[in-house]
Amino acid sequence: MIPRVREYSIRFLFGLVTLFPILVVLSLLLFAPPDGNERTQFLQFLGRFHPLSVHLPIALLMVVPLFELAGRNRHFPFLLPAADFLLGLATCGAIAAAMLGWSLARAGGYSGPLVTQHMWGGLFVAAAAWSCWILRAQASSAKSQRLYAATLIATVGIVSFTGYRGGQLSQGENHLTEFMPAPLGALLGVNSSDSVPANSPNGAPGTFYGARIQPVFAQHCITCHGRNKHKANLRLDNFESLMRGGKHGLVIKAGDSKGSELFHRITLPVSDDDFMPPDNRRPVSASDMKLIERWIAAGASGTQAVDAIKDVPSHSVSQPAVEVAFTEIDDAAVAKKRADLADVVAQLQKKFPNIVDYQSRGSDEIVINASWKGSKFGDNDMAALAPLAARIVAMDLSSTSITDKSATALAAVKHLRSLRLMHTKVGDATVQALSSLDQLEFLSLFDTAVTPSALSSLAKLPKLRRVYAGETKISAGAPLPQGLKDRIVF
Amino acid sequence: MAFMMNKFRKNDLDVSNELHPETRFAQLQAQTRRHFLRTMSGGLGTIFLGTMASSYSALAKVAERGPDGLPRLDVTRDARSPLSALPPEFASKAKRVIYLHMAGAPSQLELFDYKPVLTKLDGQDCPASLLAGKRFAFITGVPKLMGSQFPFHQVGDSGHWISDRLPYLEKHLDDLCFIKSMRTDQFNHAPAQLLVQTGNARQGYPSLGSWVVYGLGTENQNLPGFIVLISGGNMPDGGKQLWGTGFLPGVYQGVQCRSHGEPVLYLDSPKDVSASQRRSVLDAVDELNQQNYAEFGNPETVTRIAQYEMSFRMQMDATDAMDIHKEPETTRTKYGSKIGESSFANNCLVARRLAERGVRFIQLYHWGWDSHGSSAADALNDGFIKRCHEVDQPISALLSDLKDRGMMEDTLVVWGGEFGRTSMRENRSGQVMKFVGRDHHPGAFTIWMAGGGVKPGFTFGQTDDMGYEIVKDPVEIRDLHATMLYLLGFDHRKLNFPFQGLDQKLTGVKPARVVGEILA
Repeated sequence: MIPRVREYSIRFLFGLVTLFPILVVLSLLLFAPPDGNERTQFLQFLGRFHPLSVHLPIALLMVVPLFELAGRNRHFPFLLPAADFLLGLATCGAIAAAMLGWSLARAGGYSGPLVTQHMWGGLFVAAAAWSCWILRAQASSAKSQRLYAATLIATVGIVSFTGYRGGQLSQGENHLTEFMPAPLGALLGVNSSDSVPANSPNGAPGTFYGARIQPVFAQHCITCHGRNKHKANLRLDNFESLMRGGKHGLVIKAGDSKGSELFHRITLPVSDDDFMPPDNRRPVSASDMKLIERWIAAGASGTQAVDAIKDVPSHSVSQPAVEVAFTEIDDAAVAKKRADLADVVAQLQKKFPNIVDYQSRGSDEIVINASWKGSKFGDNDMAALAPLAARIVAMDLSSTSITDKSATALAAVKHLRSLRLMHTKVGDATVQALSSLDQLEFLSLFDTAVTPSALSSLAKLPKLRRVYAGETKISAGAPLPQGLKDRIVF
Repeated sequence: MAFMMNKFRKNDLDVSNELHPETRFAQLQAQTRRHFLRTMSGGLGTIFLGTMASSYSALAKVAERGPDGLPRLDVTRDARSPLSALPPEFASKAKRVIYLHMAGAPSQLELFDYKPVLTKLDGQDCPASLLAGKRFAFITGVPKLMGSQFPFHQVGDSGHWISDRLPYLEKHLDDLCFIKSMRTDQFNHAPAQLLVQTGNARQGYPSLGSWVVYGLGTENQNLPGFIVLISGGNMPDGGKQLWGTGFLPGVYQGVQCRSHGEPVLYLDSPKDVSASQRRSVLDAVDELNQQNYAEFGNPETVTRIAQYEMSFRMQMDATDAMDIHKEPETTRTKYGSKIGESSFANNCLVARRLAERGVRFIQLYHWGWDSHGSSAADALNDGFIKRCHEVDQPISALLSDLKDRGMMEDTLVVWGGEFGRTSMRENRSGQVMKFVGRDHHPGAFTIWMAGGGVKPGFTFGQTDDMGYEIVKDPVEIRDLHATMLYLLGFDHRKLNFPFQGLDQKLTGVKPARVVGEILA
């Protein structure tokens, strides 16, 4: 019996030693809960290790039931004794994680139901792991074994709940359902796009506050100053909290925009430490600033009608900004597209430097600009470009010495969208040859010998937008083919 | 890796080759399994390092991206033709730019930004709220508000408001795209002009035109890709830095040409020197320069070679391009151009001829818009009227010509100054001045663009009823630059040049936004 007593006493001793920090965490939660105020940086520094430390006890507590089950199989009996050690380690890990978690929440300015539930969950995990550990050693009878099993299952449940709340805190309330495939969402009865109700803007839509001001806060502020996080003890998700202010007192002084802390903070230079919203989040737009300024100046009322304040940027003109998206060029894909004619292009580029080129770095389409060569570019050169005909989409042959002899060569450029022939000697024969270019959108015939009789061939081109026919024999008064009139520019 | 391989080979084989055959035979007999293993492990190590090397080269590939994670555009060219054309990053709407810079900053309130409320308040003391925290170049104390000096009326399908000072331009109003909410942080001419033209208020940065020619090159190798023409009797305050090349290779610098006489001085060969003589001199100089470049690798040497070559080619083409004699009388009348003057009208006509010849970036400066009211020349009721008259007809003729030729489709025309002017009348030293004028105002000004991919007949941005502060959609200079580069086919973040430890770009380090709203 002596070894038995000895074993018991060590366990008893450890049990006591580990119970003490659990009680410490309990008292911290009771007497120093997170209240939305930011505190010492050192405590925050420690707290930042909370996300790092939580995963060890989670994994261990998930593994223990597995060991208990597998250990009953005759192949893995050696797993059973290991469970005891794992439980002890998990208890220590859970306690450490809970303490770090409290540091993070208390010093990092958190508050709200999510963080409260997560915290109490963490405490219960530590307590439950501790209980499992104690109970397991005592589990000699069938009854006490059942008690141990029940506690273990409960522990797994608490761990899951607490972990989910933690995920919500760090990744958003709908982090699990946000990108859930729609069929699965429908099956589970979750609406993946907005499974969490938006923080309801407490403010009647008929009021200026509800219609114009609250949406600005909802867009820019309530992630940190809302229902779930109350940084600096400030909530901007409803009118009452807004007027109550935060730990530094009032943020809105009715009638005095410049003297209102909130307006002051959002209008500071972006580089200022006190600027809101912080950390490169999107600043409040100029027109929204104006709105807030006018609203405070008019008395910061929660009930004033939406049209009571004049001279504010109107709703209808605040169209959404048009953002330009840049795509990255996939060099391999471009090389593949270009591969079949790459050699020909390279050869002709050598022959005609600065005349033959790709339309862009990401394109396999070719553009030709021979206009700068002037009379040194002629029909023979045009003929030399024939191997590229299928790829050419734009040609500028202005001021070159090409003539109607190039008409067939031009007609072969099937995908031509833009063709400039100004200041050349081309005539009707060339224009008539263009009738097969059904992709042609744009044609400049300025200062050529083209006559009205050539135009009928153009009238049927489906995509033609503009024909520039100034300084030709075509005049505005001349009878023009039907459907071409409004596309000709003189 | 290769050098390590060589080393192994040298130790084990090459040296023994030199030995006497018998000794060598004995040595080969003495080769043991131990030797084999030693050599092989060395070889395996080499193979391992070889595989590592490929992952290092992958790292090197990543380093082609900047710290922002974006790839850098490769604009390397054959050193002998640093100006050769390169395709844009993506298909572009604008192939070339004509930038009309009104040096001195024309008053937006007398031309395009219609403010009837300000007219009603004309003559009243300026409210303190407009003055608080503001600094002015000359205004002191409490100035008086001043309404527009000229009547406004609505024109065209777009219903734009315009004053009566630009009767020719108003025919094109439906083709223009206004930004009425431009903003700058400089309120003196030189730094403000530098900011508009180089993206930086200090000297030493490449100009807009230099960046464009650096990125796109120029097709016409017989003319510079970036040409600058000046009128109004004075250089703009920012000086030649406005078309300088900063840290980019010198070859991308703007070339200032004279708009009458020889476009570039000393371009022609001296009397009794034939073209072939000139050619052989150039060949000899090039040869020397090439040797110098091979030895020292200074890119400025390449610039020098390229400039010599270009000046030789320019002898023909530049004189032809600049020669407005070649235009018919009717065209010259349309522009209001008179041969022999260095007028804005002549420069507009030359600009059109250069654009036809594929010059990438054409920059016109017209001096004299600094309407303080301190003398007749800079008064709104005198000099300003003359400036308007000088530019109105030529700009209108230029737009007409570009439109007739179909060149508006791919030419971006930009008009603007370097800042705006105050809603208050200038009261230098607190006195009522003899002439009427307005002070510098960086807070809001108007520019317009036309052609090359911008919405015609469109207005973006809005100022308050005083025309004093922007109330909607402010546009920074860097946003304008980002937008222009976008129209020319570039993501402004990817067009870089490494200098002083930074991947320098036209738009600088602050985030710039392409004004998507004005794109056609």
